Amino acid sequence: MSPVRALTPDGYVTTADGRPAGKPDVRIMTWFFPLWYGLFGIIICLLARVTPPPRPDVSTADKVAFFSQNGLTIQLGFVVLLVLLGGAAMTNGLVAYQMKRMSTGSVLAYGYLAGMSVGALPGFLLVGVCFLTATLRPDRDPELIGLLYDLGMLSYNASLGCFTAAYLVLAIAVLYDRNNIFPKWFAYISVWQIVTEVIASQMVVFYSGPFAWNGSISFWVAVVVFSVWLGALIVILRNAAAAEPADEPDMD
Amino acid sequence: MGKVTVQQPDTETVAVPDGRLPGDVHMWVMVLGDLIVFSSYFLIYLIYRSMDPESFLRAQQHLDINIGSINTVVLLTSSLFVARSVLSARAGAHRQAIGFVYAAGGCGVLFMVLKGYEWAAKISAGHTNSDMFFSFYYVITGVHLVHVLIGLIVLGVVVRELQNPGRRRTWMVETGATYWHMVDLLWVIIFGLLYVMR
Amino acid sequence: MQILERVQDLPNAGNIKAQWVCLWSGPAVGLVLLIAAAAFPGFWPPMSPTLPAEEVARFYAEHTAWIRFGQVTFNLCGILVVPFFMVIVVQMKRMRGQSHVFAYCYLTAVVSGATFFALSNVFFLVAAFRPDRSPDLIQLLNDLAWIVFIAPIGMLLSQFVLLALAVRFDNGPDPVFPPWVGWYSLATGVAIVPSAAAAVFQTGPLAWDGLLSFWVRNGALAAFVVVMFFVLRRAVLRQAIADGVVAG
Repeated sequence: MSPVRALTPDGYVTTADGRPAGKPDVRIMTWFFPLWYGLFGIIICLLARVTPPPRPDVSTADKVAFFSQNGLTIQLGFVVLLVLLGGAAMTNGLVAYQMKRMSTGSVLAYGYLAGMSVGALPGFLLVGVCFLTATLRPDRDPELIGLLYDLGMLSYNASLGCFTAAYLVLAIAVLYDRNNIFPKWFAYISVWQIVTEVIASQMVVFYSGPFAWNGSISFWVAVVVFSVWLGALIVILRNAAAAEPADEPDMD
Repeated sequence: MGKVTVQQPDTETVAVPDGRLPGDVHMWVMVLGDLIVFSSYFLIYLIYRSMDPESFLRAQQHLDINIGSINTVVLLTSSLFVARSVLSARAGAHRQAIGFVYAAGGCGVLFMVLKGYEWAAKISAGHTNSDMFFSFYYVITGVHLVHVLIGLIVLGVVVRELQNPGRRRTWMVETGATYWHMVDLLWVIIFGLLYVMR
Repeated sequence: MQILERVQDLPNAGNIKAQWVCLWSGPAVGLVLLIAAAAFPGFWPPMSPTLPAEEVARFYAEHTAWIRFGQVTFNLCGILVVPFFMVIVVQMKRMRGQSHVFAYCYLTAVVSGATFFALSNVFFLVAAFRPDRSPDLIQLLNDLAWIVFIAPIGMLLSQFVLLALAVRFDNGPDPVFPPWVGWYSLATGVAIVPSAAAAVFQTGPLAWDGLLSFWVRNGALAAFVVVMFFVLRRAVLRQAIADGVVAG
């Protein structure tokens, strides 16, 4: 198969001999998943500069300087994100769809959907609007800019419970599932996600050190675990989509 | 390692190790991954300790090594019970296996009670997470405590498995045992790092 | 609840097991949230909207540790109560005499209602993050936190109305919930409506520390969870028996 074909949904979800597998609509969403997360990663790391996060232990003047130095890329990155943010609904919905195929049925899939949907606002959008508001009027009172900085960073990094709830129901569903939609070890990786989230709650107390929002434990270990989780999920979603019979009856 | 009996040509039965990994391979992924994640926390702790050894040492003086030692003995005993329960389950003595699991669970509960008492004592004495060493202490022992709690749930699942005449799958008991041994191993390392290493 | 051996691996059993876990998560999480609420200094008594900025800043500076503990626990555990409400969604989908539209609307309302709670946690935590911030800004964050915590009851109201409608429409031979659940749901909805005024009034029963907006609102919501636990438990057990998953 040509490399170009491999980048299409039909080329991304295939059987062993390269034929498109599974249902066509699921193929499209499965292919979209890593695409969106890749774009999201570029935006938050390179443009908007919220990952890795700027430091909590800086003065108000430093915070104003952060926004003036990075103002252009922050605005570019977050405006693009405002257009693309609907992709989060698609990635969450795809996982919920696969969870519905598990023998545990709808209740845990809805729980995942709900948890991730709650997280979208305080844990994802709020930093975007805070930083855009801060860069809108660079000559605002520095105390107000400092407030927007803290509000954006704490909401983005410390919105933990929603995702904890989502990962917990995901882990329970995978462990109880008899249809083997996702492999069991993915449940354990989800549990690690929960553990790192719970530990990260320490960041509301510290301005520096390993537990601050940019610290080695609250941030870096958490980011490594998240990357492992996300990478595993991308592979698992592809396998699950390929393994689904194209004529499997639609669920209620 | 599990053992399987093999029929030799002269109808002599011999028990040979069958090379099978005890328990579930998924649990081993969990255990190894968990150990890696915990190792990163230990490493970070050691790095921060090396940057400020005097204040860490001073804070460590306030840790009661006696209660730490008792907790270590409690968990090691519980691991012994869990290992005995695996042997009993393999031999088909299910009632005995269940008894051992309950004993291990009892030790787990005792561990949690002692830990809770220790935390309460430290907090009321004013050692909160405003001190670097104690913030590590609470986070590391706290995450470990959550693992013990999950371990009690795992042991509960093992008991349900053993009580069910239609199931009683040995690999389930081994899987639960693997998890519990990991929890014990982590505590031994934590005890060494936080309590003993001065 | 003992699941029958021969159906252990069937989807019906998986469904019931999943619902059972989510059902029991309700009381477990509820207990943790109650402890966090008892520990949160801002509730005993509820902070007054009339406090001047310096007093608010002083309050946050004096009680920083317990404020953070309470709000971190709300942050970590608040959304964990959502799976409990998903059991209501799944049971609504079993009701007769209707399509699933009420159930999906209910799901959407739960998500949005929970989002407000998560947002209020963030505001409280940011207010407590830097006690040396200007008192006016701490008061701003505190105002935002309280208003978002108490006043936006629209999504919650939708939940209660939708459940009442679904129970009303359920004309099957074996209704999922008894009829009084619909009336109780409606009554809870009525009880929380006055809280919207907390965004406007600074004194009196409608203020965010007042009898109606704080005590009646939160008491009614807590009572609803407790009552629905028993209602749902019965419903899930009856479903398990009807599905042949549990001996009945």
